[in-house]
Amino acid sequence: MIELVPRSSTGWRAQLAAYALALVLGFTTSALLIAASGASIIEGFGALYEGAFGSQEAILQSLVAATPLIFTGLATVIAFRAEIWSIGQEGQVFAGAMCGYWATLYLGDAPGLVSIPVIILAAMIGGALMGGFCGWLKTRFQVNEIISTVMLNYVIVYLLSYLLAGGPWTEEGSTSYHQTPVFTDNFHLPLLVDDVKLHIGFALALVAAAICWVILKKTPLGFEIRALGFNPTALRFKGVNVTRTVLIIMCISGALSALAGVSEIFGVNHRLRGDVMTGIGFTGIIVGMIGGLNPIGAVIAALLFGALANGSLYMSVLSDIPPSLVPAMQGILLLFFLTASVLVRYSIKFKGPAHV
Amino acid sequence: MSTPTIEARGLCKSFGPVRANHNISFSVDAGELFCLFGENGAGKSTLSACLTGLYPPNDGDILFKGEPLRMASAADAIRSGIGLVHQHFVLVPDFTVLENIVIGSEKGLIVPYKEAEAKLRQICETYGIEIEPNALVRDLSVGERQWAELLKALYFDADLLILDEPTATLDIENSKKLFRIIDKLKADGVALILISHFLDEVMQADRVAVLRQGELVGIRKTAETTPEELTRMMVGRDVEPKHREHSDVGPARLVLENVTVAGVGQVPDLNDVSFTIHQGEILGIAGVAGNGQNPLMEVIAGVRRPAFGRIILDGVVISDKAARDIKDMGLGHIPDDRFVEGLVPELSIEENLILGDHRGEYARGAFLDFPKMRQRAEQAIKEFQISTPSADIPAGNLSGGNAQRVILAREKRLATKVLLANQPTRGLDIGVIEYIHTRLLEKRAEGVAMLIASSELEDLLSLCDRIGVLFQGRLMGIVKTDQTNLEEIGLLMAGQPLENAA
Repeated sequence: MIELVPRSSTGWRAQLAAYALALVLGFTTSALLIAASGASIIEGFGALYEGAFGSQEAILQSLVAATPLIFTGLATVIAFRAEIWSIGQEGQVFAGAMCGYWATLYLGDAPGLVSIPVIILAAMIGGALMGGFCGWLKTRFQVNEIISTVMLNYVIVYLLSYLLAGGPWTEEGSTSYHQTPVFTDNFHLPLLVDDVKLHIGFALALVAAAICWVILKKTPLGFEIRALGFNPTALRFKGVNVTRTVLIIMCISGALSALAGVSEIFGVNHRLRGDVMTGIGFTGIIVGMIGGLNPIGAVIAALLFGALANGSLYMSVLSDIPPSLVPAMQGILLLFFLTASVLVRYSIKFKGPAHV
Repeated sequence: MSTPTIEARGLCKSFGPVRANHNISFSVDAGELFCLFGENGAGKSTLSACLTGLYPPNDGDILFKGEPLRMASAADAIRSGIGLVHQHFVLVPDFTVLENIVIGSEKGLIVPYKEAEAKLRQICETYGIEIEPNALVRDLSVGERQWAELLKALYFDADLLILDEPTATLDIENSKKLFRIIDKLKADGVALILISHFLDEVMQADRVAVLRQGELVGIRKTAETTPEELTRMMVGRDVEPKHREHSDVGPARLVLENVTVAGVGQVPDLNDVSFTIHQGEILGIAGVAGNGQNPLMEVIAGVRRPAFGRIILDGVVISDKAARDIKDMGLGHIPDDRFVEGLVPELSIEENLILGDHRGEYARGAFLDFPKMRQRAEQAIKEFQISTPSADIPAGNLSGGNAQRVILAREKRLATKVLLANQPTRGLDIGVIEYIHTRLLEKRAEGVAMLIASSELEDLLSLCDRIGVLFQGRLMGIVKTDQTNLEEIGLLMAGQPLENAA
């Protein structure tokens, strides 16, 4: 018989060891998968490493790839901590990018100092409204947030498709590409490092992570978020306006996801197109979970996934490994990390005949 | 001298830093009724779990009929002759009584139902238990389920039977019946261990072991002791008889006018309730739980809204105010369910103590005021004698009594005008009950108007100035405590209206 017994406490060393082991086992299993596909493991992982960390440029590119995942990871952390199961990150990334782009249509040739804050603000408002809308449906009509957020993802993704495929935002003369024209320079996020596309979005993501950590740990709102996740009834009995708290959480979560859209579109691609944002929201959910629903953990997990995404580009060019193995590897890592997170909190007892 | 049926020698059991049992030794002979007596959290249930092999002890020996005890599961225990009747039912509702008894306990692939049924009917007849073996457990009343639990133990011819708070769900008639069965079992040479904190039952045992904070305080023969001595041993000091100083009541403080709270169907949860509580007065609400006590407390605290009627606190209508505003006017609320409505079990004691005030008193600018929180926690733990290694322990790890102390500490401070207490002593033992009574009476002396709902009439008779009875959401009447008796309250609780209400 197998039983899960809660551990009274787990030291940070043991936790670190557990997660390191999860990482090793995850890559080992991935290696088996690569071998099964007929490619060379050494060649594959070599290329992966080369692409992710092989040069200064590779490292910086990994950070670029991690940036949007930090945002969506944080969005997940804030919502899931309160046990609000928002799956709307994907749509909110799109909404953020779209609202940012919408703002540019009215900004003309305003200088970057004006246009960039306006774009960011517009995006955050868009994301917050989307999150807040689902929060309102949940509190006002008891609509399950999983359903409303997932459905709204489709609405927003297809809305962008329409706008870009023959709709009003289509680039003239290139309907087949489904994208807007390239932005003028005043709409590009400023770069932190010249020549590489490491833009201020990365710094913003780290700041956002720090703010999320402070909110959760140090503020009355964070107190309510944690308490709400555990026991909303006690909060209600103590006179906390639970409806308002849910709305605030959904707005914050949506605004964070929107920033992922801004950094991908205005920091990297410099034109609005849908395919480059696909999956950022869903990967963010994995990032948040692997990060143990902790803002710092989410940053670390995002860096890992950013490196994986960046390295895999290189891997698919340099080796015979099919690029579709990368999401499989992400899934494998998720499983191992979730296992580790259970083992950190519980010990497994195999019950046999005990003697006294 | 014959070998005792069960013997514990220097038994120790710890859960992490919590010492549940420490160095416990005793023995129970065949045909003896041995009682484990102690407060909640004294270690009674842990001890019984060790005796039945559910927990391996950290140290010490358990001898069953002279042999070291070896077992891996409850089924093992049952087969070797140790029966445990649980405090909480462990029956499968969709199985019949018979199936519940034999499945998982009988060895082999094929269960001999016919023989089992015959044996079960035989046992029922012997002990005078009226229960249909083929009835589904889901159709049984709570009392009947207790018999099913007992049958489970009797079926396997237990040499040792452990009864964990067996009368908690039985009415007086059935409790008497249980003790008649116990007498018969004793005559048959079964060793019995009774776990209880009801003195009436305890005194029916042959010997009593008193546990306090995981340690064995002493073992007494009931013939040579008194309930007073046992109580003193249990709480570790003398229990003073409660005496209520008479205090004059002041002007009206909390007024309910025709308050009605809508229910799920057409029947309202609270139906046209009116009363006044004055400063320094305690109004008790008697009645079987579920007759409108919770809606009454919640509507006053602002957690629920009245459909009709008004609630007035010191001349201000509060029935349209938010719970938070009512709380800020000086209302404390000890809710019915400690771990659902009162506390967030996963948060620490320190955090639970400031729940509700985390945006007010314990916020400094945009942040929580951690030094102030810590100071408050340390003060409350000391003042309310909350036994915990630290303020960082999750409230969910506390025993019922300590959890109630945390809530009491929080709400007592808020209650400068009104204190609502819903079943404040439920499931607690004498020591804590007495403590809570004392703290509540302090509030009365401060001029706070108090409303206490309790299914323990003892609570109400020793605390309240007046007692009202709720029956199906209606207030049947209010009587003065010093002019009433149990009989009158009993009639009200059964739905008989009072001719002339006080």
